Amino acid sequence: MSLQNLIMSLQKFWANQGCYLAQPYDVEVGAGTMTPDTFFRVLDNRDWKVAYVQPSRRPTDGRFGENPHRVQKHFQYQVIIKPAPSEIQKMYIDSLTSLGIDLMEHDIRFDEDDWESPTIGAWGVGWQVLLDGLEITQFTYFQQAGGIDLSPVPVEITYGLERLEMFLEEKDNIFDLYWSEDVTYRELRVQEEKEFSEYNFNQADTRLLQSSFQINHKEAQRLAEEGLLLPAYDLCLKCSHFFNLLDSRGAISVTERVKMIGQIRFVVNQIAKKYTSQEGST
Amino acid sequence: MKEFLLEIITEEMPPAHVKTALMQMENRLADELVSNKLVDEKANFGKIFAFGTCRRLILHGSFVEKQRDEHEKIIGPPKSLAFNEDGTASPAAIGFAKSQRVGVSDLKVIQTGKGDYIGIYKTEEGKPTAEILQKVLPGIISSLTFPKMMRWGHSTFRFSRPIKRILCLFNRSPLHFVVNGVRSENYTTGHKIYSPLKLKIETFAEYRSLLKQNRVIIDPEERKNSILKQAERKLARFDARLHPDDQLLEKLTYDVENPYVFLGSFPQEYLKLPLEVLSTAMREGQRLFSVLKGKRQLPYFLGVADAYKDPKSLIRKGNERVLKARMEDAKFFWEQDLKAPLKKKSKILDQILFQERLGSYQDKTERLKKIVAYIADRLELREEKKAVIEAADICKVDLMTEMVREFPSLQGKMGGLYAKEEGFAPAVWKAVYQQYQPVSLDDSSPSSLTGAILAMADKLDTIVGATGVGVEVSGSKDPFGIRRNAQGICKIILDKKLSFSFSRLLDKVFSTMRDRLVREKEEVKSEIFDFFKNRLQHIFESQGYRYDLVKASLAPGIDDVYHSFLRLKALDSLKESPQFEPMIMIAKRVNNILRGQPKHKVNEDLLLEKQERELHTTFSIIRDNILPLIAVGDFAKAQRMIFRMRSSINNFFDHVLVMADDKRLRRNRLAILQEISQLLGKIADYSLVVIEG
Repeated sequence: MSLQNLIMSLQKFWANQGCYLAQPYDVEVGAGTMTPDTFFRVLDNRDWKVAYVQPSRRPTDGRFGENPHRVQKHFQYQVIIKPAPSEIQKMYIDSLTSLGIDLMEHDIRFDEDDWESPTIGAWGVGWQVLLDGLEITQFTYFQQAGGIDLSPVPVEITYGLERLEMFLEEKDNIFDLYWSEDVTYRELRVQEEKEFSEYNFNQADTRLLQSSFQINHKEAQRLAEEGLLLPAYDLCLKCSHFFNLLDSRGAISVTERVKMIGQIRFVVNQIAKKYTSQEGST
Repeated sequence: MKEFLLEIITEEMPPAHVKTALMQMENRLADELVSNKLVDEKANFGKIFAFGTCRRLILHGSFVEKQRDEHEKIIGPPKSLAFNEDGTASPAAIGFAKSQRVGVSDLKVIQTGKGDYIGIYKTEEGKPTAEILQKVLPGIISSLTFPKMMRWGHSTFRFSRPIKRILCLFNRSPLHFVVNGVRSENYTTGHKIYSPLKLKIETFAEYRSLLKQNRVIIDPEERKNSILKQAERKLARFDARLHPDDQLLEKLTYDVENPYVFLGSFPQEYLKLPLEVLSTAMREGQRLFSVLKGKRQLPYFLGVADAYKDPKSLIRKGNERVLKARMEDAKFFWEQDLKAPLKKKSKILDQILFQERLGSYQDKTERLKKIVAYIADRLELREEKKAVIEAADICKVDLMTEMVREFPSLQGKMGGLYAKEEGFAPAVWKAVYQQYQPVSLDDSSPSSLTGAILAMADKLDTIVGATGVGVEVSGSKDPFGIRRNAQGICKIILDKKLSFSFSRLLDKVFSTMRDRLVREKEEVKSEIFDFFKNRLQHIFESQGYRYDLVKASLAPGIDDVYHSFLRLKALDSLKESPQFEPMIMIAKRVNNILRGQPKHKVNEDLLLEKQERELHTTFSIIRDNILPLIAVGDFAKAQRMIFRMRSSINNFFDHVLVMADDKRLRRNRLAILQEISQLLGKIADYSLVVIEG
C-alpha cells in the first residue's frame, strides 16, 4: 500500500469511466478547482470528463512538519464530470470499493457541506464525505463559477489523497505514509514543510508580496481586456497565491481581505464572461 | 378508505430541508384534499402522516376512493308553458332540453312550491381519488421550496438535492406521474450500502417492515429513541451520561437511516483541555457526543453510525484516530493561545473590523466599557462595576485566538476560559464567558450579574449601531442578529429582574457613538422601542399569557421593561377575580366618556354632590397609596386597591350627571374622571382587555 498505488488505482478507475487524465497544473493553486482544466471547462455547455492529481498550497496550514496532520502543501485528486451522471454517487462509492475498502464494514456519510470560493466567484451544493469520521472527499454539484450560472451542472469530486491514504494504511501521522514501497512521505516532504513554513510565516517579504499582487493584478486585467484569457487567469492564480502568503504572514486586515478577494474576483468574472461569450459565438 | 403512500428518494438532504419539505407536502396535500372534496367529515378522513430520513420524504394516509357523486336538479320552464296544445313539447321545452344537452324525452315533471315545472335530474359522477392525486402530486413536489436549492443535469428544475426515485401507491396500485424526468413506480430501495436493490411495494405496512429488514427505519422518533436507548446501554457501566446536545441529536436522527451507536475513547492527556473545547472538537466535524460523569468529562465519546454493527471495530477505531488528531490540534491551539496574555493581544483589536462605520473591535470595546459602567451605576452595583469594566476591556480579544479561528462557535467562552487561566477574578472571567448569552429564548441568561450587564451592553451596542447606520431587518435578513439580540436583552432583564430606564440607557449608548451614526437619533430610538415592544409581546405570548392582557400591560410603555412584565403578571393573576370584569367595564366607560376631551382640572369647591365628593376623596387616598406601589413595581397590590374604588365610581355614575348643562360642573366632573383614568393608565390600558360574552 502506498500513495502512488492509490493514485494509480484512482487513475485507472476514472479512466475507465471515460475521464481524460490531465497532469497537474504548473501554477500554485489552493485547490484543484482553480486550475484551468476545471475553471474554464465547467463554464461552457459541452460535455467534459477529466481527472488529475493537483498539488495544493495553503500556506496557513503549515506546521513546520511537526504536526501529524497539517501541511502547507497536500495532494488532491480532482474529478470533474459534466453533466453530472445521475449515478455519480454510486460511481464514487464504487471508486472506494475499487481501493479495497469494504463499505459494509465501515460508516460512510454524505454530510451537508456546501462549498464556495469567493475568489473565483464559484459556489456549489454538496457534502463532505466522511469515512468512519474522517473527511476523505469533498463532493460538489457546481452551480456557479466566475459569477456565471452553470448549465449543464458539473459534479466535482475532490479526494484528499493523504487523508485517504492514512485511512488505508491506518496511520496516525501523515509523515509515516509510504509514497512508494520504500520511500516515505517524510523523506520526500518534511524538509519542504519546514522551509516553506518558515518562509510562509516568518520570512516572506510582505512589501514584495503586496506589490507583486498589485502588479500581477494589473497585468491580469490588461490581458483580460486583450482577450488573452488563459494567461490572464494564470496571473489571477498568482494573485491568489500572493494573497494566501500575505494572509499567513498575518499582514491582511479584515477590510483589506474583502477588498483583495474582490479585486481578484472582478477580473476572474470578466474572464469568465468573455470566455462564455466567445464560446457562444464559435 | 384506501391507502396512499408517497416516497421521494433523493441524495442526502440536510435535516432542516427534510423537515420543511415534509411540512409543505403535508399542508399542500391536505389543501388539495379539501378543495377536491376528498374529505369525508363523518369518517375520520385522510389524516396524513409524514416520515423521513436524509434520503427520503414519505407521506402516508387513508383517503376515500373517489369523490362523492353530485346529484343536481335543474329546473326549466313551468309545465304550463312546456307543452303545445297537442301535447307535444313546446319550443320552450325543446330549447331547455337543448341547452342541457338531453333529449326531450328525458325531461321530467318536477313539483316545486311554486307549482309544476319541467326539468331534469343530473348526476355528476365523482372523480376517482387516484386520478386527482396523479394530477396534483407533480405540482406539489415541484413547488417545494428549501432554504438553499440546487439544479442538476441540464434542467432548470430546483430541489434540495437530486431526486433519485419516486414511489407512489393508492389502493395498492402505482400512481403514475413524472417529476423532472423521474417516473413514479411501485418500487423503493433499502439502505444505500447494505441493500441498494429494488423492493416492490403494495401496502404501507409492507413498505415499513420491508425497509426495516433492509436497514432503513423511516420514523424519526423511532430512530431518535433507538439512539438514546443504545447510548444509555453503552453508558450504563460507567454511570455516565451524554453531554446533552439536542441539535446534534436531531441532526444525527435524520442523517442516518439505521442508527448504530458506538463507544470510543481518547487518551487521558487531553482531559486537561476545557470541557467546552473537548465537546466542540467532538461535535464539529465528526458529530460525536461527549460523555460526562456528573459535570466531569470522561475520556470517552459516543458516535452514531449509519450501520448496524461494527464487528471488527473498524468504525470505532477510525473515529478514535480522527478524534485524537483533532484533540492534538486543539491542545496545540490552547497552549499557543496561552503564550500571550489577553491584555497583550488586545493591542491588535483595532485591526479587526466590527462594521465599517461603527469601527473596529477596539472601538466597540471602548464603547462597551462606558456602557457597562453606566448600567452598573444605574443598578447601584458598586462592587461589580470594576469587574465588569475589566471584563469589557478584554471581552473581544478571543476573536484573535487560534482556538476561536478554528472553532468560531466558541467565541466568548474561549475568552472567559483564557481569562480564568490567567487568574482573572470569577466576576471578570464569567462575564467574558457569558457575554453572548442567551443565544435563543431556550438558552439561559448569564448566571453572573457582571455577565448579564456585559451581555446587555454588547447586544445593545450592536442594535443601536446597526440600526443607526441603516442596517435593515426583514424576513430572513438580519446580518447583525438584531432580533436575536433584542430578545436576549429582554430575557436577561426578565430573568434577572432588572429595573431601570431603557430610554436613558439608549441615550447613553447613543452618546458613545455620536457621529458614527447616519440616522436621526429620535427616529432610531422610536424604531428600537417599537422593536422591543414587538419582541416582548412575542416573548410574553410564547410564555402563554393572553394576547389582550399582554397588549394592555405593554401600553403604558416599556421604558421599564421589567415593570411591563410585573404589570402583566398582576393583570394575569387578577383575571379570575370577580372584581376584574366589572372594573374593566368601568374603565372602558370612563375612557369612552373622556374620548376627545381636552385636559381639565379639578376644583374642589365645585364638588356639589355627595357622591362626587366621596369619589374624589376616595380617589385621592387611593392615589397616594398606589403611587409608591407603582414605583416599586407592586402592581398586584396597586390593582387590588383600584378595585376598592369601584363602588364609589358606580355611585358616582348612578347619581351624578357627568354631562351637566353647567359647563363648569361638567368640566369638573370630567376632570375627576381624567385623574382616575390617568392613574389607571399607569397600570394597564384596560380598554384593550377583551371581555367575552
